[in-house]
Amino acid sequence: MKLKTFLATYLLFLAVLFACFAIVSAFLVDTQVNMHMERSAAEYQRIAVSLSRDILVLHGISQNLVEDINALLNSYMEHYARADVTLALTVLSPEEGHANIGALVSFVRHGGEYFIEVNGVLPEPFGFFRLDYLLNITDAMAAMNRIQNILLFVCMGFAALTALILYVILNRIFRPLGFVSRVSRKIAGGDYDERIAVRGKNELAAMAEDFNSMADEIQAQMQILKDEADAKQQFVDNIAHELRTPLTSIFGYAEYMQKIAPVDAEMIESMQYIMDEAGHMQNISNSLLTLATLRGYEAARAEIPVGQLFEDIRHSLRSLKNVNFVFVAEIDTIFGQEDLIKSLLLNLCTNAANAGGTAVTVRAAPRGENAVLSVTDNGCGIPKESLAKIFEPFERVDKARNRQAGGAGLGLTLCARIAEAHGAVIQMESTVGIGTRVEVILEGKNYEDWGNH
Amino acid sequence: MAKILIVEDEKAINNLIRKNLEAVGHDCVSVFDGEAVFDALEKQEFDLILLDIMLPKLDGFEVIEHLGDAEIPVIFLTARGSVDDRVRGLKLGADDYITKPFHILELQARVEAVLRRAQKADKSFELGDVRVDLSGRKVYFKGRAVDFTPQEYALIEAFIRNRNIALSRDKLLEIAWGYEFGGDTRTVDAHISRIRKKLQWENVIKTVYKLGYRLEAKK
Repeated sequence: MKLKTFLATYLLFLAVLFACFAIVSAFLVDTQVNMHMERSAAEYQRIAVSLSRDILVLHGISQNLVEDINALLNSYMEHYARADVTLALTVLSPEEGHANIGALVSFVRHGGEYFIEVNGVLPEPFGFFRLDYLLNITDAMAAMNRIQNILLFVCMGFAALTALILYVILNRIFRPLGFVSRVSRKIAGGDYDERIAVRGKNELAAMAEDFNSMADEIQAQMQILKDEADAKQQFVDNIAHELRTPLTSIFGYAEYMQKIAPVDAEMIESMQYIMDEAGHMQNISNSLLTLATLRGYEAARAEIPVGQLFEDIRHSLRSLKNVNFVFVAEIDTIFGQEDLIKSLLLNLCTNAANAGGTAVTVRAAPRGENAVLSVTDNGCGIPKESLAKIFEPFERVDKARNRQAGGAGLGLTLCARIAEAHGAVIQMESTVGIGTRVEVILEGKNYEDWGNH
Repeated sequence: MAKILIVEDEKAINNLIRKNLEAVGHDCVSVFDGEAVFDALEKQEFDLILLDIMLPKLDGFEVIEHLGDAEIPVIFLTARGSVDDRVRGLKLGADDYITKPFHILELQARVEAVLRRAQKADKSFELGDVRVDLSGRKVYFKGRAVDFTPQEYALIEAFIRNRNIALSRDKLLEIAWGYEFGGDTRTVDAHISRIRKKLQWENVIKTVYKLGYRLEAKK
């Protein structure tokens, strides 16, 4: 592109330059020749008039007219030879006529030399004398040629200089393009941080800006894709880890039973471990399945009597004897999918108990148009840095993933999905050492007041 | 017989490892978090620590850093297949690593190898009238040396190192003859009956139904 622009521009320039040179030099030669021709014609006239006057005088006084005319002519020739002029006088035969034709001027080139030739006859009554005039202008033409050469030389100098200037200018113009292509290559190679420095306000600057915003967009999209891929990878890694731990026990105890014939008590203990771990794997797979089912699911809402809901939950939690659950129903009914809402509250209550809570309050209360379900405990609380990711799968506050303290780490993810399926907002606030409060805000007029009954 | 500290927070896995190591005669102590390692080390000396990476309180990497130059061999237990973790563990001075899930024989072999390197492995084995000099590779019955072919010795050593664990015929074939040997598992049976005869071990090397043989040496 740059080379093409350079060649096209330069050839155009050369064509114009050398056309000008050709025209100027032709004009100069032409002018020179014309000037010489005019001057020669005038001189010829002067010579002819003066010669014929002298012949007329000689004619009156001369005894030997032919000799005298020759002598006269010689003196003329000597005189004019100094001015590079050759003269010749011939007597025309009567047939050739006395015609007083005008002098004929012509430019002649002969053997590398240039001449102005004037042919004519002397004025009457000497019309039978033919006078030839030959002016050698080789020197003048050579000088002209030198001038032409100098001109050509100057033109070539100009051409070279122009080539240089053109090259520099084009380089400057095309530099941003080269930069753009370098940066594009870098971006294509995965270096998404590369940008073009924008200078000025011309079209190229505008292009650079567009390019940069395109790069921004690509980078942002790549980041999103990368984050998604990372999250997926993390999820898969977590599942692999969560499954490998129970698998280690199951495989290990089975192998133990097979290869180290244990006493009955050990046999039963091993089997118990195998069953517990298999049950744990089942829990994980159930939770994963539920999570998968809930993706993009919209809850089938119906009226749920809060009193009955709380009674069911209290019944399910009866095995947690050292936790005091308090249920407060400030509204009569809520709207939601009963099994999901129950599962959500059960999960939150189990979490509260696992966090070491001894007093847990479950409350259904109105807040403006919305109904709010909340679970408040006095457990160990969650550090701030863990709160942000608490709803993500396999995220546990205890980094050692001590399963004695909890399940697979999917409970809160499930709660978040259930809330999502209801178009509800789930929030958690927690203070280490004081306790945790989780709120599920069911939006819209989806509860009924005590007073309405 | 070595004293081994097992550091693993999963009760089931901790118990499993302990049972397997106790079966071959090791003496084990179980702890369930990183800090408990140092309490246990104060109370008694250990020949080997089996250390999980993901632990409550102090993780495995922190534990090994705190151990400093205590010069106790450490084998990492890791559920992660990550090469980074292994490299990091080995750089920190771990002697080996075992990935979960593991096979009993793999666990025994790695423990045995690390103990041998640390000069803590058993040098001899005694059971009834039989004494086996594991460093001199000699077998004595009632105080007299018994002639053993190299294959027979390899078999009896495998039984002793993995006592109370059933070994399959294929495994025994691999141990005594190597992978390349295309022999029949009946070769194993023939050799074992010869060992039984030489040492009067008819009731010590038990045939395990559908599996192979086991050297029974209960404490």
